[in-house]
Amino acid sequence: MKLELKNISKNFHGVKALQNVDFQLKDNSIHALLGENGAGKSTLVKILCGVYQPDSGTINLNNQQQTISNPAISLSLGISAIHQESVMFDELTVTENIFIGNHLTKSNGLIDWGLMESKTKKLLQDLEANIEPNEKIKDLSIAQRHIVQISRSLIHDAEIVIMDEPTASLSQKEINELYTIIRNLKKQNKSIIFISHKLDEVMEVCDDFTVLRDGELIKFDKISNTNKDQLITYMAGREVNQIFPKNNVTIENEIFQVKDLYKKTQFKNISFNLRKKEILGFYGLVGSGRTEIMKSIFGITKLDEGEIIFKDQKISIAKPSDAIDQGIVYLSEERQQLGMTGLMSVKDNINMAILDRNSQFYILDNLKEIKNATAMQEKLNIKVSYWSQLTQSLSGGNQQKTVIAKWLSTKPEVLILDEPTKGIDVRSKSAVHEFMGELVEEGMSIIMISSELPEILGMCDRVVVMYKGLIKDILDVKNASSEQIVKLASGES
Amino acid sequence: MKKILTNRDFILFSIILIGLIAVGFANPLFVTPKSISDVLTDTSILIILALSQMIVILIRAIDLSVASNLALSGMLISLLSTVHPELPVYYFIALSCVIGTVLGVLNGVSIAILKVPFIVTTLGTLSIYRGLIYFVSDGKQVYSNEFSEDFLSLIHYKFLSLSFLFWLAVAAFIVIYVLLNHTRFGRNLYSLGGNPDAAKYIGISENKYIILAYSISGFFAGLCGYLWVARYSVASTQIAIGFELTVISACVVGGISVMGGVGTVLGCVLGALLIGLIRNALPAVDISQFWQLAISGAIILMAIIINTKTEQRKEKTIMVEN
Repeated sequence: MKLELKNISKNFHGVKALQNVDFQLKDNSIHALLGENGAGKSTLVKILCGVYQPDSGTINLNNQQQTISNPAISLSLGISAIHQESVMFDELTVTENIFIGNHLTKSNGLIDWGLMESKTKKLLQDLEANIEPNEKIKDLSIAQRHIVQISRSLIHDAEIVIMDEPTASLSQKEINELYTIIRNLKKQNKSIIFISHKLDEVMEVCDDFTVLRDGELIKFDKISNTNKDQLITYMAGREVNQIFPKNNVTIENEIFQVKDLYKKTQFKNISFNLRKKEILGFYGLVGSGRTEIMKSIFGITKLDEGEIIFKDQKISIAKPSDAIDQGIVYLSEERQQLGMTGLMSVKDNINMAILDRNSQFYILDNLKEIKNATAMQEKLNIKVSYWSQLTQSLSGGNQQKTVIAKWLSTKPEVLILDEPTKGIDVRSKSAVHEFMGELVEEGMSIIMISSELPEILGMCDRVVVMYKGLIKDILDVKNASSEQIVKLASGES
Repeated sequence: MKKILTNRDFILFSIILIGLIAVGFANPLFVTPKSISDVLTDTSILIILALSQMIVILIRAIDLSVASNLALSGMLISLLSTVHPELPVYYFIALSCVIGTVLGVLNGVSIAILKVPFIVTTLGTLSIYRGLIYFVSDGKQVYSNEFSEDFLSLIHYKFLSLSFLFWLAVAAFIVIYVLLNHTRFGRNLYSLGGNPDAAKYIGISENKYIILAYSISGFFAGLCGYLWVARYSVASTQIAIGFELTVISACVVGGISVMGGVGTVLGCVLGALLIGLIRNALPAVDISQFWQLAISGAIILMAIIINTKTEQRKEKTIMVEN
């Protein structure tokens, strides 16, 4: 046994994050750690990384008991984590990111840049990665950043590599490359802890799995003894029948159209239309220009050329408030950073975008604000104890609902959702989907960017497939196969 | 070639050069070796303090107390020298550095251990250290005739007809350049400023680096305490008042990002040189004293605008156009 955790418990201010959890990682195996958001996966990982200390329980590494009291010890024990969030240093070079905290020095104590660079070059060549050692991290793609993180763990001679949703923002092609690297790591006698919400890939790459729910161990077994539905049941604690509860609505006339949108080096010849009560999907690799188009439509960045037609009239959008006034809103995928202000109250967040509508002669009408907030709270079922509660004290799911409430308050007609279910658990995901269905029924039109094909196929009426800033095709989802879409998105046809 | 032209250090260097030539046309006397050497001497203390301030700014903090620290260290050794003029000058220099370091450590401890935000801490110590000068000196000045000859003479030593102060600034440049680029300590400062969360994951202790950064800032403030007093042959409650802002603007002009983790040692020195040049050149080209402050402010602002324009992150190319 490579790693064995026994009876691990951890409390945060009385909240039980982990309760008597056991975890066993075998020698050179790939072990899936599964669970919904808040199940305790990241707490467990942070204990292994030395960021948190368990309240009770033991950690055995190679059959020796260890105390991991800080991240440096975790690294020296050969545990290396590849995080979902960027834990890279954007302004530093690839070489330095790989050796960070572990710089090689010459005999006089000064850093040996030459040696570090040549080792990096060799390492990247071995991984067959097309990355230059002296490139800055900020200039790399997300997939390349993952490779740099993996190289970092190899330099540290890690025996255990923890990967937290490594494929969350990768394209299918990049994912396949990553799988190859993961399998190579396994061949080199490493053990891997693999965290993912995508069950298909778990079934494909992993050997064992452990499911956590509400901080407790639910199931530990071999992957070959289970199937996808069973895993969902373990994670959710109940059968999830309908992941995509799309209702049938009658799609009406065209409401929104763009013609020949063009932005230098970003996208070209972008034309599509959106009909009332329609959900239009945008599928493509991360970095294929989907988000950039929406940001331009919403007025965050400037278009170089192109027309936007809304309700048969040409409109010009120079800044986001123009779009909001027209009834077009955009929900960014970066919910926390761009969507809300954690230190403001829930009520204030909900009303943030409609201050002018809630005020008279520039004075805010508190009653109107409370009215709107209450209506939204009921509609979205936001769990809030009192109106002045700070948004940051809400759970992730309720924060997200608050962001949605903020935009719905503006009474939009066209809603642009950018990866609305990225990184959230199965249950919240189906809640978001259900809600989208309701909005469409009420007469709204939705554009949804998503990197998950099942979501596109399950929720959308039509899908726009993009590749490198160009629209490859617009397909009717009913008649499209997933192979066809993937091919288009990877530029193969 | 394109890389050189977009390099901000190069741009800054060009601005200094163009400025120098422009001033030279207006007043040829300003560009004689003698006068340039005077400007360098005059800017040396600013360079040293900007370099040490840079270390603090790199980790997303700021040290507003440097000028007060400098003044307090300078006053304390001046008072001591009036009582014990027989002590060798090296003794005073070392003592000044020690006092400065202690004051710096106090800042660091308050920020790292007591968790008082850096801006509040150093704003507080800015007043406290300045206030202490009144307390220890009774509000009086120490005049040039009260210092020992030894105390004042070192500063006038010259090598290759450049002043002691200038060579000290060169030494500080080399030391900090090596420290930031060729030691683990320096690289860890960059990573801590660039991404504090990630730095934590690789086992860098934030508190340790905060205290060390402020100690270094304090050390150099203490050193400059001696330099300032010896150079102007006077210690008063008012010395270097407001100088912390000049130091910080030198860093910012030099491209040290107040967001942390970005900036070069060379850029920092060039930033200080540009500000030194402006301060010395404006009187030389007969600009009314009333305008000098406003003009130097405007030039600093312009330099920063140029800097941020060149820095602006280019969008990633998605589409290759034919």
